[in-house]
Amino acid sequence: MLHIVFYFQVHQPYRLRPYSVLDIGLRDDYFDEGLNRAVMRKVAEKCYLPANRLFLDLIEAAEGRFKIAFSISGTAIEQFRLYAPEVLDSFKELAATGCVEFLGETYYHSLAFLFDQEEFVAQVGMHRRLMEAEFGFSPITFRNTELIFQDSLADQVWDLKGFKAILAEGAQKVLGWRSPLYAYHDYNHRLFLLLKSYSLSDDIAFRFSDRGWAEWPLSVEKFSRWVSELGLIEQGDRALFLNLFMDYETFGEHQWAETGIFEFMRALPGEILRHGFMDFAWPLDVIDLVDYPPEALKVPEPVSWADTERDLSAWMENDLQKNGLASFYDLLGRIRERGREDLLTKARLLSTSDHFYYMSTKYFQDGDVHKYFSPYSSPEQSYLYYLNALADLEERL
Amino acid sequence: MKILFITWEFPPLIAGGLGTACYGMAQALLRTGLALDLVLPTLEEAYFPLREPEDVDRLPVALLKPDRRLERQLTETIESGQRMEALGLSPYPETYLTPGFSFGQFWRSIPWSRSVRRELVLETIQENLLGPGDLFRKVQELTAKSIRLFRKLDFDLIHVHDWLTFPAGVVLKKLTGKPLVAHVHATEFDRAGGQGNERIHRIEYAGLSQADLIIAVSRYTSEMIIDRYQISSERLRVVHNAHTFESGAAKRRRIFKGPLILFLGRITIQKGPDYFLEVAQRVLKQHPEARFVMAGAGDMMSRLLHRSAAQRMGPRFLFTEFLNRRQVDQILSAADIFIMPSVSEPFGIVPLEAMAHGTAAVISKQSGVAEVLESALKIDFWDVDQMVRTVTDLIENPEKRRALAEAGRKEVLAIKWDEAADKIRQIYRELVN
Repeated sequence: MLHIVFYFQVHQPYRLRPYSVLDIGLRDDYFDEGLNRAVMRKVAEKCYLPANRLFLDLIEAAEGRFKIAFSISGTAIEQFRLYAPEVLDSFKELAATGCVEFLGETYYHSLAFLFDQEEFVAQVGMHRRLMEAEFGFSPITFRNTELIFQDSLADQVWDLKGFKAILAEGAQKVLGWRSPLYAYHDYNHRLFLLLKSYSLSDDIAFRFSDRGWAEWPLSVEKFSRWVSELGLIEQGDRALFLNLFMDYETFGEHQWAETGIFEFMRALPGEILRHGFMDFAWPLDVIDLVDYPPEALKVPEPVSWADTERDLSAWMENDLQKNGLASFYDLLGRIRERGREDLLTKARLLSTSDHFYYMSTKYFQDGDVHKYFSPYSSPEQSYLYYLNALADLEERL
Repeated sequence: MKILFITWEFPPLIAGGLGTACYGMAQALLRTGLALDLVLPTLEEAYFPLREPEDVDRLPVALLKPDRRLERQLTETIESGQRMEALGLSPYPETYLTPGFSFGQFWRSIPWSRSVRRELVLETIQENLLGPGDLFRKVQELTAKSIRLFRKLDFDLIHVHDWLTFPAGVVLKKLTGKPLVAHVHATEFDRAGGQGNERIHRIEYAGLSQADLIIAVSRYTSEMIIDRYQISSERLRVVHNAHTFESGAAKRRRIFKGPLILFLGRITIQKGPDYFLEVAQRVLKQHPEARFVMAGAGDMMSRLLHRSAAQRMGPRFLFTEFLNRRQVDQILSAADIFIMPSVSEPFGIVPLEAMAHGTAAVISKQSGVAEVLESALKIDFWDVDQMVRTVTDLIENPEKRRALAEAGRKEVLAIKWDEAADKIRQIYRELVN
């Protein structure tokens, strides 16, 4: 059986305003409310509302045979409440169908696991409580920020108790000759690993509207034929997992409605379910579905789903990023040490990985992607606003 | 006596120090009873007759382009793109230049006398003004406009400011036989922090060689002129710049608990921002409570930002980007120590402003302003060791710092343009009876 696992990432950061040295000590509203509202409104209209509508229809029509998973960051939920409460309502409506799994992650979509274990534990706990409160769902599958994974993350997640599976990028350097279609174990703890099939995921997420792509336009028939042929690798009839992981904003935002992305998704479940040997599953279903002892994968070096390098270089490659991260975690530690709860929430909003993503100075293809997502005119600008905000926090300590 | 006063900037049409200096100078000259006809690189064929000291604040620039809302810009220093627009200059030379305007043709139509026509200096100017470059084309236009205007105007002496106006000055001198005073606020050697643009050097030299008298804004600059352009010191006069301070003391404000050490200016090689960074890195090792702020914008900003990050100075070394006039006052009144580590600074007005705001100043010896200031600490820009010792000392001895700042404030508030204007008037008298 080939189980298709759809997981969508829902995240919005709080973007910094042009926060000046002259603002230090006078104002602690570091975030650009107007911009954050505008982005949220735009993405709500173009993506979240119509996509939630679509998935609700699909789930209702499939009578339990279509299931999906979401990972929704705490900063996204907060901004739904502030700027688009109807989006939060529609996610709750999806949760009520019982066909949606919610994954665990850091509340602030941060890189805390790399720098500050105590903070990592705190942020994952905050996120768990949020999922329980908003959706009545206690996460069993963990998905780290931007799919960053390595052995030491498995250690930390294992220590958290309660998680049984982790999602990761099915990068070549992790898998070698192996296929991402099998379930794996982490190197030491019997946590299940599900690895993203990046080629088929990216066909939808990135290449769908690319007219320069030889396979354009991508029809549902073509895509489901590719998917159905995947099953041929398995002779012993073991369970296979096609892990299609992508940003939720793929629908309507990265790929505009005009590209036909919604029509594609609307037709896909029916086309897949037409074949008897394929169905849809949640990440946590792996626990029950796997019918073989999974191989343990060693991943000593970090992998992520970002950029062509599939490593941490999107957030911590150049000096701006390294100085920004080091300065932040140094300050955060001191804030916690002194028990300054009043500063902690504000500080944590600065832990969101996007701040460091904007500071990337990569060129070529990935630089364009960074630029697309950044509200600043240069990496240098985003860095100097970030540092000014840190300086203000430090002065208040 | 009536002076034809040609300059590239004048408030509110201003981007840098040149406009501020010309404003203070013109106002003080008017107070001595002189009359000025002011020519600016406006798109329109206009000039501004200045007769009373108050006239400097009444430039009818709004009449030039009433749709451009210059009112809004009167109080703020504006960025170069906007400045060009405010000046009536388009950033696109093909639309700025009068349709069909050819400087070559225009040049040939000037009614030179036969002997003048063959002079080498005119050839130098024409050759170096022709060729590519937006700025050069704008200088062509100003030159042409000045020549078209001179028939309408009646004046006793021509006073031009920096190379941008030198071609106009030289050509008018040749056409009218009136004496020419070339005022040097900066040379291409200062601006480039090295060799600079060959065409600008040639135009600068042509202006200096034809001037009857040259005014340098400092001894530092006059030595540079003698040294680099081989100009005889007999024709050189030094008149230090002054500054007009707004009345009323600005309120001091603390931004940080620790001392704020400030760099303010264009972040470019001439201003020595890399020395500031070096000093910061070393001072922070002993005094991590200090905050270094680099205020301004410029071609070296990105590089220095990366370097400050590489040295892991964290949020101890901050940048402001471009600041408008109001923000400049705010940062100056929050600074404890101001450093001007300029590699080459013909004069340097910022230390005066910093000191007027009650900030202790550490300035480069390679500056004109060092010649007039008593209450600023003067250090060779390259002597980072000494700079580190001085800044550390000022951090560790707040009493000493406050005393220096207070003495500095008193000193600079006593500086007036009138003294400079008297000297300039004497220089005019040497040439016109």
